[in-house]
Amino acid sequence: MVSASLYILACSTKNRIAVRLRRLREPRYLIGAVIAGTYLYFAILRPRVAVARRGRRGGAFPPPTAALIGRFGASLAGAAILLMACLAWMFPGTSSLLSFTEAETDFLQTAPVSRRKLLIHRMMRSQVGLLFAAIVPAFLFVTPGTTSTSAMVLRAIALWITFVTVRLYFAGVTMARARLASADPRARLAAWTPLVLTVAAVAAVGVSFIRAMPAIQPSSFPDVIARAGNATTTGVARVVLWPFQTLLRPLFANGPTAYLAAIPRALLVLLATTAWVLESDGVFQRAGEGPAQMPATEGRRRRVTAPRVRATGWVLALSGRTEMAFMWKNAMQTLRGTNLGSMWGPLVGFFFGVTGFAIAMSANRGLVSGLCLVALVFAGAATLLGPLSVMSDLRGDLRHLELLKTWPVKGAALVRGEMLWPAALLTVLAWFALACGALLSVVAFPMLPAGMRLALWAAASLVVPALVFAQYTIHHAAAVLFPAWIPSDNEARGFDSLGQRLILFGGVLLGLVVMFLPGAIAAGVIGLVFYRLTGSPFVFVPAAAVCLAIVAIEVMLATEALGPLYDRIDLSGVERSESRA
Amino acid sequence: MGLAVEHLTRTYAGPASPFTAVDDLSFDAGGGEIIGLIGPNGAGKTTTLRTLAGILRPTSGRVAIDGHNIVDDSIAAKRRLAFMPDEPHLFEYLTVEEHLRLVARLYAVEDFDRRARALIEELELTGKERSLPGELSRGMRQKVVIACGLVRDATTLLFDEPLTGLDPVGIHRMRETIVARGRAGACVLVSSHLLHMVEEICTRVIIMDHGRKVADGTVAELASRSELAAAGSNLEQIFLRVTGRGTATDS
Repeated sequence: MVSASLYILACSTKNRIAVRLRRLREPRYLIGAVIAGTYLYFAILRPRVAVARRGRRGGAFPPPTAALIGRFGASLAGAAILLMACLAWMFPGTSSLLSFTEAETDFLQTAPVSRRKLLIHRMMRSQVGLLFAAIVPAFLFVTPGTTSTSAMVLRAIALWITFVTVRLYFAGVTMARARLASADPRARLAAWTPLVLTVAAVAAVGVSFIRAMPAIQPSSFPDVIARAGNATTTGVARVVLWPFQTLLRPLFANGPTAYLAAIPRALLVLLATTAWVLESDGVFQRAGEGPAQMPATEGRRRRVTAPRVRATGWVLALSGRTEMAFMWKNAMQTLRGTNLGSMWGPLVGFFFGVTGFAIAMSANRGLVSGLCLVALVFAGAATLLGPLSVMSDLRGDLRHLELLKTWPVKGAALVRGEMLWPAALLTVLAWFALACGALLSVVAFPMLPAGMRLALWAAASLVVPALVFAQYTIHHAAAVLFPAWIPSDNEARGFDSLGQRLILFGGVLLGLVVMFLPGAIAAGVIGLVFYRLTGSPFVFVPAAAVCLAIVAIEVMLATEALGPLYDRIDLSGVERSESRA
Repeated sequence: MGLAVEHLTRTYAGPASPFTAVDDLSFDAGGGEIIGLIGPNGAGKTTTLRTLAGILRPTSGRVAIDGHNIVDDSIAAKRRLAFMPDEPHLFEYLTVEEHLRLVARLYAVEDFDRRARALIEELELTGKERSLPGELSRGMRQKVVIACGLVRDATTLLFDEPLTGLDPVGIHRMRETIVARGRAGACVLVSSHLLHMVEEICTRVIIMDHGRKVADGTVAELASRSELAAAGSNLEQIFLRVTGRGTATDS
């Protein structure tokens, strides 16, 4: 089976590379590759050289902090991995290691091959992706003194061992979590044991942390590192965190000798994790927990995360404007297709990131200031980044283009209708966040006059829809003019795809500037005139209203112009890109 | 009235060289006609249907539905047209009933509730009205697509492999449905590899090969053609002779 896995791996890799090289004959992929290459040169290669030069003068951290990170980095990062390991039991999710492709299901699961060998096959299949995932950051995140190729290769190996271990652990968690309520006592024992151990380990490390942070607040960042580091390298926490810090030790090794000494132990942790996963799977199999539940195929995974029928209370009327029919359709997608369970990772990351940023920015102004900043950051993110990621519009519907093209609807109405729901949704979210921010600002920024606060809030609320609708118009223009460039399912892969996304991103930014310029100029003139006449802070409101009106007219004109272009979309170009990607 | 195809050509651009999938195809079809479009794999049947449906633009030539050009007057043409593809394309987040409702809204269908109920019963979708496509079998999804095509009064119906994925009862019902629509005055074009079904329900047959029309007429007319007379009288024998696939076997 190992030779068969290697054969599949080698052939798939070879053919994938061949397909991606062959498609460079098409201009859109060639241009994408050139842009991606240029970007990577300026974003990675040149900064690396700069870091290497700067290394002669000093590191990224001051020497005391760097020494502390060298000493406690592995144990602190180990504590973070332990926390992640615990969270993995709490939140839903299926390990990709257990997700067989449809071809694997049809060819391998029907073949006379044991389940253990199938799992080993999946582990081998995942290595290419993990290697790539390890190499990129190893070359991307360089610090002075570690810019040589050999240092980066060593770092990539250490990262690869870490990634493989983490992925295996999550596969084990996925399997065990499904058997927590098993009827078989052996399966239950095998499922509960790692969970109990993980929770106990988190509790032990948590107690050590609490004891290390006495009532006196830390005086500096190095002080925080020193106290936390001491908490993780002494007493019970040291024992509990041993496997975690051993796994990460090569990443923090200070020189080749320390690295070579750390690698065998990290490999030992990897082997132990592999043995645990295989042994657990064996126990579950012997207990009669058959493959009806595991492993899941990708097709089954899709069905698990597929939308569910939820009563939305919104029934489509049988007559009315075309735009509203598309708005309703896309609303159903959001309401039924949004799986809150799968969003916990990004949400937790966003929450911690924004909260940390807000607390850091408002350290002297208290919790309310922090919350006010969180609300404003959320409003900004919904307005400026939302249209890039909320794709329940024509971009998402490109895969349904064959159906849409048979409908007797005006192209302009279709384009407007497709963008209506996501734009309205983001606008309302941003309005809500702005309102929260405005209310909290009463406490957070008391020095701001009430009139100015009200004027700024009203003006911002007027600018939000202008920004959101303008971006959606540009995205739809890109989808209509270059449908083959739009990744409808976010699964576009390859060097050239990176370049295509960069071009699109640049185009959207440029388009936004062009669309906003007339409105911004008019708003500036109106604001100046009103300010000269009244001297009131409320000049922001008419200025923003003028800007909104001009952008609204531009959106209407642009969608009317896009209508005939939509009618001319060549479906064969879209289909070719999807089949080859 | 009906379907008019004049010198239709559709070429796909390729990295190496362009490929002509449909080459100078012409035919007319009136109301009440059920035309079987048959041909070997790669003959250009699906490209023809997709071009007639307005999904692909003709490279040259003209397609008109009830006199409305599918390119210049596309909305009026599409309003009279129903295309049922072989691969059911459905929105994964809309239920069966909501798909029908959306189509009814877009095509301004009157008396929707009665029509939808009748169709759901006719296509054996009763009890699945509130199901999402992901909860349906392929055959069921195919029936939803067909229901969406039949819920409005289309004068021209295009079926691409309509029996794929259907169970024997579904196949029987679908045959009856197609015949009933033809008898009701619709112009029906059916692409299929099931020659016995085509022979049974179609009033006329068009055989395509390499993008070109190689035969057109009723089965009896084709069988009586001097160069085909030796092939036999059933459609399968005629098809094999016309496309040159049956020569070796026959000999």
